[in-house]
This record gives sequence, structure tokens and C-alpha cells, in this order.
Amino acid sequence: MGRVYYITHSGELRREENTIIFENSSIKKSIPIEDIDELFLFSEVSTNSKALALLSKKGVIAHFFNHYGYYIGSFYPRETNLSGFLLIKQVEHYTNTQKRLYLAKAFVEGAIVNLSTLFGLRKEDYLFALREAKNIPEVMKVEADLRKDFYRRLEQETGWEFEKRTKRPPQNPLNALISFGNSLVYAKVLGEVYHTQLNPTVSYLHEPSTKRFSLCLDIAEVFKPILSDVLIVKLIRDGVLQEYHFSEELNFTYLSPEGRRLFAKAFDELLESTVRHRRLKRKISHRQLIRLELYKLIKHLLAEENYRPLNYASL
Amino acid sequence: MWIILVYDISTENREGQKRLNKVRKIAKRYINHVQKSVFEGNITKSKLERLKSELLQVINKKEDSLIIYIFDDLVDYKREILTEGEDPTSNIL
Repeated sequence: MGRVYYITHSGELRREENTIIFENSSIKKSIPIEDIDELFLFSEVSTNSKALALLSKKGVIAHFFNHYGYYIGSFYPRETNLSGFLLIKQVEHYTNTQKRLYLAKAFVEGAIVNLSTLFGLRKEDYLFALREAKNIPEVMKVEADLRKDFYRRLEQETGWEFEKRTKRPPQNPLNALISFGNSLVYAKVLGEVYHTQLNPTVSYLHEPSTKRFSLCLDIAEVFKPILSDVLIVKLIRDGVLQEYHFSEELNFTYLSPEGRRLFAKAFDELLESTVRHRRLKRKISHRQLIRLELYKLIKHLLAEENYRPLNYASL
Repeated sequence: MWIILVYDISTENREGQKRLNKVRKIAKRYINHVQKSVFEGNITKSKLERLKSELLQVINKKEDSLIIYIFDDLVDYKREILTEGEDPTSNIL
């Protein structure tokens, strides 16, 4: 397994001597192509089709973020892991209302279980409401209530002002961090989906017609508490991210390039850090946890084993 | 696993100069260029075998010297950079 590379400076990404080279006026660095698993590009990077051809050949996904740190999209190389059979199963689970509801509930259950254990929220009410939910909008409502509860907790934990969730543009630092963290998790899940036979457009909790790889949004629900929410609290508490890492421009707040670099660094360290997996009896990195979750979903779709969302506390 | 690759290619003639460039080009696809003839980085077992076989096709076993230090894990391992500047093996740039 290679590493994830994060590029936070603007510059040019080219192919040179059969590897990838990043260059701008002050740095010139060649990145070993065999060591790249995924690329996160956080600033204005120009590239050419020769470089993309090499990335595609090596199966490297490149995630692009714009000047403000918003997710633009990913360069998703030609699929090499295809399975028509699994796609049919995926769609079957979508068209059958009961099967779809099961999976949608499972993802939200993952969000509830992980968020409550990590932040000491009361999960019983949410789990009860989730069991009672009869359709997808009701399931989403449970998720929304949970998030609201969490945002109050987030304010207490960090001492920063939150008010309410705002996107496009986020109106204060906490909102900006949540948006940025979520898009990292979303992109990372997509990176893992690429290596499985799953089709990233067929989803269960989110509607599959939203012009995005919505399956990643579903899976991201389970991982956002672990990979993003906890990280935000930690970065603020440890004083890594401070007020001056956000710049206010055109009436909204976003993370500065330096802030983004710090966040990406912490995110990468978290992904590579390991936890002991009870069932597998060995150490597993957080990054591999995402892949394992996808394999669990595949098993469910193939009717081999029912999908139960990752419970971080019981690992 | 982590590896350190060092090479010393005999460049007395043009053949040697060519070999030197080829070795450098092969190595930089797999791991990071740290110093003139020193490469270092993380690599999987299978990729290490591929790297070795690619290198063996290029070098002259009699004249050149090529050494790979292999660390199965990074326990009991320390690496200090005494100079200024970014870590050349960093994945955040």
C-alpha cells in the first residue's frame, strides 16, 4: 500500500521521467509514482493529460479542492474492478423499499453509535426514533437531530461560537472546519470505493440522483465522527488551529492554506494510526477500517452476512 | 517496510554515465530522492522485488556498487535531520 499525498501549494503537476513531479517557483519535488495511492490537491494546481494518463495507468485517484477548500471533484481513473453482478445486487437493494430502509438505517445507526460514544451523547432516544422510522426522510430527520445535538456539544468542547450549520459559504470557523473535514472524509471514502467492485453512484440513505458519488456520502456517515469530528475538537483543544488560520474574505470564513496543511497533516496521521481489531486479531489502520466497511457492505449485498455498521467503541 | 538505497555507479566512461541516469530514474519512481545517490522510502515487499529486478537489468555487477538497507519495521529506529529544509520523504507538500 502506498501513501496519500497532499499538495497544499499551488503549482504544476507534470509527468517527468515516468513519475510525477510537482513544481512551482520555490519548490521542485518529484513524487515516486509507485508510492502514491491517492492525491489530495488543495490549491490551484495545473496539470496535463500526460500526467493524468500516468495516474490513470497506476490507478491513482486525484481529489481536487478549490481556492476556498471546497471539494470540486475527483479524477476517477478508468475502473479496473468491475462486477456487473454486484451492481445488479446493489440496485436490487435500492429498489426494494425494505432492503433500502435497512441499509439507510444501518448507516445512521453507525453515525449515532460512534458520535455518541465519542462525545458522550445519549444515544437511546435516537436509536429508538431510528427503529420507529418508516421511510427515508424520517431516517434522515433522526440524523439531523443527532447532528444538532452534537453541534451544541461541539460549542461546549471547543469554546468557539457555532450558532447554526451554514454551508456555501460557511459563516464561522467551526462551520468551515466541519465542511472541510466532511469533504476530506467523503473523498477518502471514494478513494477506497475505487479499489472495490462497488459502484459509487448507487446509494441508500442519500438519493442516488444527486450528481455525486452518493454511496460515499452514505458510508461517510459512519466515519465522520471518527475521522473528522474528533479531529476538529482535538486540533482546537491542542491549539494547533487558531483564529489566525482562518481568513475572512468576502464576508465568509475559510481555512487558510497553512490551516489546511495542518488539518491535512493531522488527518493523514489519523488515517495511518492503528487500532486493534478484535475480530481480525491484529492491528488495523483507520484507513483500512474504511475498506473493511466496504467489504462488509459487499457481503451484505451478496447475502453472505448482514451488514452491521462499525461500532468504534467495540473494536 | 522502509528501505534506504545507496548506489555508486562507476562513471569512468559514457556507459557508466548512462547507467547512473537509468538507476536514478528507476529509483525515483519507487522512493524519494534524499541525497545525490541516496534514496529512501516506504515500499511493499512486491514492489521492492520489482525495483530490484529493474535495477539488476541496468547495473554492471562488476563495476558498480548498489546496497539496499531494509527495515522490516521502524521499531528501534531513529532518523534525525540535522539540517534545515523540508523532509524529502514527506507526503504533505
